[in-house]
Amino acid sequence: MNFRTFAAFVGPSVFMMLLFIAFPLISVFKQSFYVTQPIYETVEKETCTPGFLTQTCVTETVSQPRLDEEGKVITQTQYVGWESYRNVLEPERAWRAISDGNWNVLSTINFWKALRFTLTFTLITLPLVIVCGLGIAVMINNAAHAIRGPVIFISLLPFIITPVIGVLSVNWLFRGDGILTALLEWWLNRDIALFAQAWTIEVLMMLYRVWHVAPFAAIVFYAGLQTVNQDSLESAVIDGATRWQRMKYIVIPHLMPLIIFVSMIHLMDSYRVFEEIVGFASQGYVISLQWLTYDFLVPDQAGNRSISRASASAMLTMIGIAILLIFPLRRTWRDHKGGH
Amino acid sequence: MSSRALRQPLSLRLTSNIFLAFWCLVAIFPIFWITVMSFKSPVDAFDSNALNVIFGPTTLSNGNGLSLLDIILGIAVIWGTIALVFKKMPAMIRAYSREGLEWFGWVIGILAAAVGFLVVFFVILPAILNVLNPLLGPLGRDILGLTTEHYKTVWIDRGFSNNFKNSLIVTSGVVILSLSVGTLAGYGLARSGSNLAFWLLIVALIFRALPPSALVASYLPVFISSSEWLAPILGENAPTLYGKPFAVIAVLVAINQPFTIWMLRSFFQNIPAELDEAARVDGCNHFQAFRRVIMPVMWPGVITTGLFSFLLAYNDILVTSLLLDAQNQTMVPAIVGMFNRETTTTDQVVAVAAAVSITAPLIFLVLIFQRQIVSGLTAGAVKG
Amino acid sequence: MKLKTILMAGAMSIAATGAWADCAFENDVPLKSLSAGFEAWKAVTDAMAECGNFSASLDQEFREKQPEAFAADPALYQIGGVSNATLVPLLNAGTVRPLDDLVEKYGQDLLPNQLIKVDGKTMAIAMMVNAQHLMYRDDVLAELDIEEPKSYDDVLAAAAKIKEAGVMDYPIGGTFKTGWNLGQEFVNMYLGEGGAFFGDGNMPAINNEQGVAALETLKAMTDYMDPEYLVSDSTYVQQQFQQGKIAMANLWASRAAAMNDEAESQVVGKVTMAAAPMGSAVPATTIWWDGIVLASNMSDEEADAAFRVALEGMDTDMVSANNDVAVWLSPAYSAGDLAAGAAASAEGGAKAYPASGPMGIMHTSLGNGLADYLTGAKDAPTTLADIEADYITAAKEAGLISN
Repeated sequence: MNFRTFAAFVGPSVFMMLLFIAFPLISVFKQSFYVTQPIYETVEKETCTPGFLTQTCVTETVSQPRLDEEGKVITQTQYVGWESYRNVLEPERAWRAISDGNWNVLSTINFWKALRFTLTFTLITLPLVIVCGLGIAVMINNAAHAIRGPVIFISLLPFIITPVIGVLSVNWLFRGDGILTALLEWWLNRDIALFAQAWTIEVLMMLYRVWHVAPFAAIVFYAGLQTVNQDSLESAVIDGATRWQRMKYIVIPHLMPLIIFVSMIHLMDSYRVFEEIVGFASQGYVISLQWLTYDFLVPDQAGNRSISRASASAMLTMIGIAILLIFPLRRTWRDHKGGH
Repeated sequence: MSSRALRQPLSLRLTSNIFLAFWCLVAIFPIFWITVMSFKSPVDAFDSNALNVIFGPTTLSNGNGLSLLDIILGIAVIWGTIALVFKKMPAMIRAYSREGLEWFGWVIGILAAAVGFLVVFFVILPAILNVLNPLLGPLGRDILGLTTEHYKTVWIDRGFSNNFKNSLIVTSGVVILSLSVGTLAGYGLARSGSNLAFWLLIVALIFRALPPSALVASYLPVFISSSEWLAPILGENAPTLYGKPFAVIAVLVAINQPFTIWMLRSFFQNIPAELDEAARVDGCNHFQAFRRVIMPVMWPGVITTGLFSFLLAYNDILVTSLLLDAQNQTMVPAIVGMFNRETTTTDQVVAVAAAVSITAPLIFLVLIFQRQIVSGLTAGAVKG
Repeated sequence: MKLKTILMAGAMSIAATGAWADCAFENDVPLKSLSAGFEAWKAVTDAMAECGNFSASLDQEFREKQPEAFAADPALYQIGGVSNATLVPLLNAGTVRPLDDLVEKYGQDLLPNQLIKVDGKTMAIAMMVNAQHLMYRDDVLAELDIEEPKSYDDVLAAAAKIKEAGVMDYPIGGTFKTGWNLGQEFVNMYLGEGGAFFGDGNMPAINNEQGVAALETLKAMTDYMDPEYLVSDSTYVQQQFQQGKIAMANLWASRAAAMNDEAESQVVGKVTMAAAPMGSAVPATTIWWDGIVLASNMSDEEADAAFRVALEGMDTDMVSANNDVAVWLSPAYSAGDLAAGAAASAEGGAKAYPASGPMGIMHTSLGNGLADYLTGAKDAPTTLADIEADYITAAKEAGLISN
């Protein structure tokens, strides 16, 4: 395929990605090195607000941005180098904590706290998703043909349900005296508060994520199982291979590309864990990198937002994912070269 | 596994099936539970005793309930509908619809089934039961508290149908545009061995890895002021992109492109290149080859990829909540708004009813396309 | 649900969109409003819609959208719903219209109290006030011979008694959800102790005795609260109250009506509204108001119509129909028992929320930073120092503190 045909085929797609992803990305990259702020001046101001029957008026000095002739806020943009990254990473504090060997202090610094949780979350759910997905796929494949359809249908439900709603429904089941917590309390005969300490919330979040993603893995693996070469399985039986050996030497290698595919998708998605934090309102105990970015970005009630730090934190998140993806991607490169 | 040599011992099959049953329970339970909650009065819905939630004593004492007979007949009608749709309808559709227009037959068939079900379930059945219940004594007495008032609140008082319509517009727009742009790109990438193609894929992958909240926030000011900065190009007619469904569709398509082109590329790679090469020998150019040879065989992969696009658009909250205003808001942000609003417990149950309402179309979709998803994946739409 | 009722309701809702029967005039200028989404705004915007040609966005992202949408020319929304805090960014950007001419023309029925004035110019019209104040179960307290708690020491003593008597495990409820809610709790306590948030040049000044005292009171309360307090917001506390699980809470006045809602509350008539408990200086609460503003980027004709529609939204019909939804600022509002707590707090000298640009940042820093103290990860001075450091970083980035 020559270049012009290729360009014609991929053109529309590339154009849309450039317009809506690449350009904003460039601006995010740029913003992480600049700070844009209004120029404030201090003025005396009298403000009257309602009390219950009368008004209370106060005069105070406030900072107020300067406006130009057209009534727009005057802003200035400054190159600040790596300062926004420093503000996110807080390297001095982190380094002091590490050199004191004081991990508790390190885990109260936002970025490192978020990184710790994000990595734990990603690396613990990954094997769980793969193993559960594989397990479900094999079990479906084992089941009688008549029930496969309904079982696949039920298995897919956690995957298709709107994530926000999935999180909320799990939240109701466990929060306060939610019925599953009540069940646990009755079973263990003790008072349980699952949202009262970090580790239970983390476990809940991971379980939710596995519940949500394992069906996707399962359905992909199930599709893969349909194309396992039956002849080689049968000859393995004749050679006296046990069930486990057949799984290990024939089925798993056959599914390997799919396992890598699922892992890649899962790495990307779980490194950006966010819905769980908001849905379980866990920010008092654990936060994630994407939540940190979001928190910098949401304006507070007075309209201030930390765009530069948000950009820096977004760039750092992206670098993190890129590093995690190097391993699975090396294989794609080989395939790509080998396939043609 | 059909072969005799591969047959498994009973114990293994039993364990496997027990685990499978357990998984199904885990998979369905939260969804089942919010469905139950949505039919109860607020006091029952948030009760900490599971039995109270299921049987709804408060709901019952408010005069909303079902008798044993209601339940039996209701289940019978639901079961009958499912049986009709799954057993009879495929055959009928094959019999009555013309070759190549089967999808149209399905649409008509499912619409007819849905309307028929609604009429029977909500009009004919209550009328019959109103007569029968008082005649049957204990069988006709209400035993299960259940109320549909929250659904009435959501769909009628809160105007949720407007959100439904908006979701429909955004979602179908995203699916159609995403697939048409994506199939072309996927095909191009699959048939080109150049380094450029590889790096495009890698860049796309990095794009997919981006934290979306960072991108989305930078759209808002640009979208709101678009009539000002577009004016030099488009003059008077320059649109304000904020609040326009088409702008949101474009954004969602772009965000979804990386995944779409990766999926479709792997799928096209599994279609033998000899097919279109043969067509090109016959004098077709690449586009003609694509249209004549590839298009007829690409549907399983396209349907699977389309389903993922559908899920992304339908479930999106980040883009839609920020870039649409209330008049064209889609369902998910509307529901989250309901939850976050300063709410009473009643409002919470209403929001739960809304949450169940938006899950229903997803369930229908999976029911219809389930087989295509599996066959699409089997055909290699996913391959590293 | 019968098909007929659905059809009827559908027909009625279509008819309703064209109605302006309850409005004093027929509005023919297309208008839009953007506000938060809570119950009072629903009531007000529904009343505005009666004038026709009006559509309301009750949007949870309104904080993010409002400054941008008002800065556009012409403004995307003519009417904005703000509170004392969210008015700040609009005032700073100069995107709200002074209302003095319109008040003179149409505002005969407004109370002087409703006019929000900045440097003598009316910039907003307040419609309601809101404050957190003490709600308690009078039946529970009376049974144990406990007087109405006046200070936080009283509250803690009462809680200890209730717990000891085995009436409830967790007698106190609190809106301690990490983020805005928790920040607000600290603001209440700290102002109750008589603290000031800022020194010269917007520098933070919370790491002091009052700050530590406020933290210690918060921590002491958590001993009597459901251990999941860091995820409990107002709706959850309200629900706990309704289910009879807690006996006391410092909850928003706008939540008072829910206690007596027959449909969902099991404690109807048993909850008394009292002033917010005293800190060392004033009642530990802050008074908020909500109201409307008009965008400056629109024609005078539009502003005229928008103002009239907005007034229709707060007219006497709306207030009398929704009397218990909020503490309305209107001659038609009859302050019943439900408003007693808010009024008593105000009488006791409770302060208005000190809304400003720096305060926005401070509130966020507090909301995110306090959890570490409550969970025991940091001690009080470290917590406050870290919050100050976080505030300084953010304020520098916003340009409020010069380097």
